[in-house]
This record gives sequence, C-alpha cells and structure tokens, in this order.
Amino acid sequence: MIKLQWLIPLLPVLSALLVHLLAGRLGRRVAQLSVGMGVITFLVALWQIVVFITSNQGPSWMGIGGNWGSVYLDPLSATMALVVSGFSLIVHIYSVRYMAEEPGYARFFMLLDLMTASILLFVTAGDLITLLIAWHLVSVMMYFLLGQNTESRPGERYAFWTFLTYRIGDLPMVLAAVILFQAYGALDFPTLFDRLMAAPDTEVFGMPAAITAAGLIAVSAFAKSAQFPLHTWLPYTMDGPTPVSALMHAGIVNAGGIIINRFAPAFVNAEGVLHLLFVVGLLTAVIGSVLMLTQNDIKKSLGYSTMGQMGFMIMETGVGAFSLAVFHLIAHGMFKATMFLSSGDLIGDARRHDDVPQNPLYTFLVDRKTGKPTRLPWLAIGVVTLVVPLAILLLAHWAVSPDFFQKQGAIVLLFFGWITGVQVLFATHRLDATNPVRMMLMILLSFALIVIGYSIIGHTFETFLYPDAAFREALYHAAGLDAVTFDGLVILLGLVVLVGWIGSYLASREESLFGNRFSELRLTLYSLISRELYIADLYERLSQALLEGSKRINVWMRWR
Amino acid sequence: MNTLLLLLAGFFLPLFPLSMAFNWLLGRFNNPVVRVLLILVWPQIGVLLVLAAGVPLTGSVFLWWGLITAAFYAWRLLTVRELGQWAAMLATSAFALTWVMAADGARAIDLHAFVLGFAVAPALLVVITTLLERRLGAAYSGLVTGMARDIPRLAGLITVVLLAAMALPISPGFFVMLDLLLESHPAPVIVALLTWLLWSWAGTRLLRDTVFGPRSGKNVADLPVPLAWAFAGVIVAAVVLNLIWTGV
Repeated sequence: MIKLQWLIPLLPVLSALLVHLLAGRLGRRVAQLSVGMGVITFLVALWQIVVFITSNQGPSWMGIGGNWGSVYLDPLSATMALVVSGFSLIVHIYSVRYMAEEPGYARFFMLLDLMTASILLFVTAGDLITLLIAWHLVSVMMYFLLGQNTESRPGERYAFWTFLTYRIGDLPMVLAAVILFQAYGALDFPTLFDRLMAAPDTEVFGMPAAITAAGLIAVSAFAKSAQFPLHTWLPYTMDGPTPVSALMHAGIVNAGGIIINRFAPAFVNAEGVLHLLFVVGLLTAVIGSVLMLTQNDIKKSLGYSTMGQMGFMIMETGVGAFSLAVFHLIAHGMFKATMFLSSGDLIGDARRHDDVPQNPLYTFLVDRKTGKPTRLPWLAIGVVTLVVPLAILLLAHWAVSPDFFQKQGAIVLLFFGWITGVQVLFATHRLDATNPVRMMLMILLSFALIVIGYSIIGHTFETFLYPDAAFREALYHAAGLDAVTFDGLVILLGLVVLVGWIGSYLASREESLFGNRFSELRLTLYSLISRELYIADLYERLSQALLEGSKRINVWMRWR
Repeated sequence: MNTLLLLLAGFFLPLFPLSMAFNWLLGRFNNPVVRVLLILVWPQIGVLLVLAAGVPLTGSVFLWWGLITAAFYAWRLLTVRELGQWAAMLATSAFALTWVMAADGARAIDLHAFVLGFAVAPALLVVITTLLERRLGAAYSGLVTGMARDIPRLAGLITVVLLAAMALPISPGFFVMLDLLLESHPAPVIVALLTWLLWSWAGTRLLRDTVFGPRSGKNVADLPVPLAWAFAGVIVAAVVLNLIWTGV
C-alpha cells in the first residue's frame, strides 16, 4: 500500500515532463494528457484512503534508502492527497477551455502539474528534507503560475510579492528543521515524532526544542497562509489566471493549516505557541474581514475574504481544534473554488442578459437595500436571533460529544459560531419577504441543518484524523488558559457583543451610541482601513531603502 | 590554526575586503573558459589553505567574517545589473559561507564538495553572460525584456540557472545550503538564512528584467536546439550527481 503512495507526487511530475516533451507534437491536445494523468493521480489517492480506512493498519512510512526521500501514509496525508488531487483535477479540467486562447498553453499545464506535484509531495512527505524541498517548490511554482502571462508587469510584480513573502516563510521552516534535527537526531517523521513525544523538554543550544521549533513553524505557516502582517500578497494575486486564483485560494493558501497539523506533536508541547496562533489568527480574521468590507474592488475584497477565513483556520489550531482547521480548509477550499470557477459563467450570463434579477434576494445582497421595513418587531427578532442559534449550537455539540463543554477551545469556537449565527439571522431578518415568519423559520432550519451536519461530520473527522483520544485531549489541554483569564476573556467578548448589539439597535432607530463625538476618529479609521493600514506601503519603503543602500555601496566600491 | 594561512585563504574563500581581488579578477578576464575555471578552481585553493591551517575553526573570528561577507555581498547583489558581475558577487557571497562549514569541522571532502556545489550556478551564469554578449553586445538586465515570448529556450535556460543561483530545490546549491544549516549553531544559521533570502530577492529582480515584462530591445536568435539540449544535459547531470552525493 505504501509503495503506491510514491505514485501520488510522481505522476504529476511525469505528466509535466510529457507535456513539455510532447507539446510540439500534440499541440493543445497536451492538455488532455495532463487531465488524464490528473484523473489517475486522483484515483490512486482515492484508492489509498479507502485501503487505509478499511485495512485499519495505521500509519506507514517508506524511504528510498538514503538520508532523505520518503513518503508517509497517515490520516492527514491520505486526506490531503485526496483533496489536493481532487481540486487540481477540477482546475485542470476547467483550464482546458478557459486557457485555450492564452499564450503559453502547454507551459501552463506543465506548471500546473508541477505545482500539483509540489503540494502532493508536501502532504505526503515522510521526512524533514523532503518536506523542505516540497515547501520551497510550492513557492517557486506559485511564482511562475502567477506570472503565467510573462508580459504583464502587474502580474510579475504581484508574483514577486508572493514569492518573497513565501521565501520569508520558507526560512523559519528550515530553522525549525535544523532545531528538530539537532535536538532529536532524526529526519524521518515516525522516529522524530516518537522521540519528540518521549522527550518534549529536550533543549538545544539552551532553547526548548519543541517550543522553538513550533514557534518557527507557526511563523512559516503565517507567511504561507497570509496571516497579519504577512498578508499583503494575497489580495493582489488575482492578476494571475482564474484557475490559478482558484487553486491558490482553495488549496495553496491552506498550507499553513496543514503544516501545523503535520507538526502537531511539537505544538502539543508548546502551549505559548498555541496561544500565539490564536491571537494572530483572531487578529487576521478581524482585520481580513474589516478590510474585505471596505474594498471597492471585488477581487481584492475576495482576497481579504480568504485572509479572514485563513485567520479563522489558524485560530482554530490555536484553541486546539487541529482537525477542525483541516475540515475548515477543505470546506473553504470547495466554496472558494466554486466561486472562482463559476465566475466566468456568471460574467457570460451577465453579458447575455444585462437585466438584473428583480427579486428581493438580489436587491438585498447586491444592492444592499433592505426594501420595505421588516414586519417583525425588532426586539422579538433580537431575542430569537440571540437565543435560537445558541440553543442549536449547544444541542448539536452536546449530542456528538457530551464532554464538549469541558474544553475551553470548544467553548471559544462555540462562541464564534454563535456570533456568526446571530449575525446571519439578524442580517437576513431585514430581507423583504411576503411571509417574514416563514422566511425566518426557513433560515433557522437551514442554520440547524448546517450546525448539526458540521458537528457530526467534524466530530467523525476528528476521530479519523487523530484517533488517539489522549492526544486529542492533550491538544485541547495545551491550548487552554487558566480559569480566571479565560472567564475574563469570555466576559470581555460578551461585553463587546453586547455593546455591538446596542449599537445595532440604536442604528436601526437612526440614533448613535456616542452622537457625533467620534465622527472624526471614525473617518480617520476608515481612511486607514481603506488604505489597507499602509502595511504594503511600509514594506515598499523598507525595500526601497535597502535597494538604495545597496546601490550606493556598489557605486562607492566600484562594483567590486 | 595558522592565522597567516587563514588570511591567505581569505582571498580564495572571499572575505571582505580581500574579496575585491576575486571580483576584480573575474571582471578582468573576458574569456569565458578562464572565468569558469576561475570560479571552479579559486575556492578549492581556499579550501586547501583552510585545511592546511587546521580545522575546525570553532570560536574563530573567521566564521563571523565569512558570514558578514556573505550577507554583505548578497545585499550588494540586489542592484547589480551586469550578469557577469552578478555571477561574481553571487560566487563571493556563496564561497564566503565555506567558513561556517570549516568552523563546524567538516571533512576535507565535504568542504571541496561544498564549494563545488555553490560554483555550479555562477559558472553557468558566466556561460549565459557570454551567450547574451554575443547576441546583444552586453549582458545587462533591462537591455532586453520579455525574453520568454520570443526566445523561449534562452529564457528557459536563464530561468533554470537563476533558480539554481537562488539555491532552490533541487539544485546543488539547495542541498549544499541544507548541509551547512543542519550542522550549524542557530546564530550563524540566521545570518545564512538572511543571505539566502537576499539571493532570492536579487534573482527575481534579474528575472523580472530579462525573462518577464513586455518585449523590448532588439530581436535576437534563440538558443539552437542542440545547444539547449547540451545545457539541459549539464544541468541534469549536476543535479543527479549532487543527489547521489547527498545520499538520496
């Protein structure tokens, strides 16, 4: 079974090679060859996960005999190989026609194959060196895919931004590998993780190895998954072809979540780093969402939406819900891939039928008009939207895991789920409908179905990804805070929600909590956010200063 | 440990400002064979001198001198536009890292392999410089942009060699760099990583002004197919030999 695991990254490499060699002879038909190889890769990944689940043999590892070069078959690699090969196949099929009129057609498929191979090698790698190779190759392939249109200056510029940020993320990963290798003297994952779990307090050069390595891996994940303040590249990557955007937003940007899961044995012994993940993830989720709402460019808005989602994913790992982060990245990947890949059809439809749909949903969502004022009383809606989502969430989670409420991380996620549910319900109650009560019931039913489905699938997925209950418990425990801090934070968050709620109520009555006292501050804040907090400008200044210094030194030293 | 021998080695495994001699020499000769030989042989002499002086150099000032030289030349690389000069400065930056390996007490054979691994990309860049000079009269970035469109084989060769120059997988430079990092202390590793990052930045700047961008500059002939295959053969051979050496 493990031998077949080699085929998963190697088949796309073979495909890329064939596409390059046969492009002259086959012309545009090389795309079919690439798709065909994609189908085989997907089937192998499917076979592997099915056999893995049914054989019940547990993880296995295989090297090619040297210092490095190995593959690993465990629940994470089996799941991600299936997901990545599946997404890649969809993008391949979509690109056959979408890219037909673009220059560099064969090159595009070659790069797509190489990118797929890099990600598949990353998820199936069985040792540190193989992982580092794949981790670096993802950066390289991303650069060339984003710069597919070689004549586009903006395309190249944004590809460069992405590449440089990815490189900044590659290097802490190398340092983490150095520390792990020097501390535990092993490159292959099974030995490395066994030794790490047996001696988590090992020190190297006076530093705790597990904590330092986890911290560095976290920084690396931040760069790959566009976490604040290493996020500036993501909203600008839309200049690449649409299939690349789909692959990027559905797959590549999730690398941070995958790498954190891969090194879970290090993170379980690094409490402080888990808290860092939570804070950075939360900050990214909030900033990403705020920036998304203030953009007037729909593409950048989508980019910031992904940033917010990635923040949420990293935050989930920060509360110990590692498997939920993987589940989230798969669900988000499907959602974003659908959005990007259907955008062409939507544009086509809009060109054919330029009349906008005259229905309340469109008016509400696109025109942002609420139509007629709601016929449901605001207070009743307020109570329903506060109580019902909480009840649904509590019941659904209690049903799948009665000890759920003992885990702080789970409570934090529940809190966020509750706020999200409240927001959805409260936003939609303003939608003009002939029967508002029926509409509200339908929304509640949909919400209940989603939550119950998510809870059951999420719980099953967690036991599949981390079958060891003690390890799952240890992850939640490591992410926990002391009771006083935790309760204090929950109260603080509760107060924030309450103030927001009062503000929303007053806004519905066209009143304000603070009158006009803070209008200037609000304007300043708005201009700061609309300029994306000037972070990209700051990087630009810094790089210009470095370049200027380099030039002066070179002139002074006569280029010797 | 013989300090005089080590100082002499500083000319061959370039330590700033002794490194200026190596850069001056590479600029002095126009013949590509001489330049390639210089890149391949010069640092090997340095390794012999270091070995004669006695390794390991633990706690020696030469370790940090080498690291600072590597980072300094990597920084200077950012604004170099002439490809031959770029190759020389990259080689200076990379060879200076040998002092870290020497400080770690690497075996003689490993030190020789280390400089050879880092010499591959600068040597190939020197050859590309000659190819460009013959076609364009000079090998400056920005002189001809958008090569990917009309001269794809040459553009492809430049791309692959620049990726190797940035020490990215699966070039020999990548494994040489990993070899260095896996055996070193964290402080030197951080400086070496910064150097590595600067190589990537400098390499992509060069790619931007040659391979990418709207087509500009005069029209020139692409690389003949047999020559392209020959280059591919050399690159594949270097990669395979290195993979065998690193013990895959």
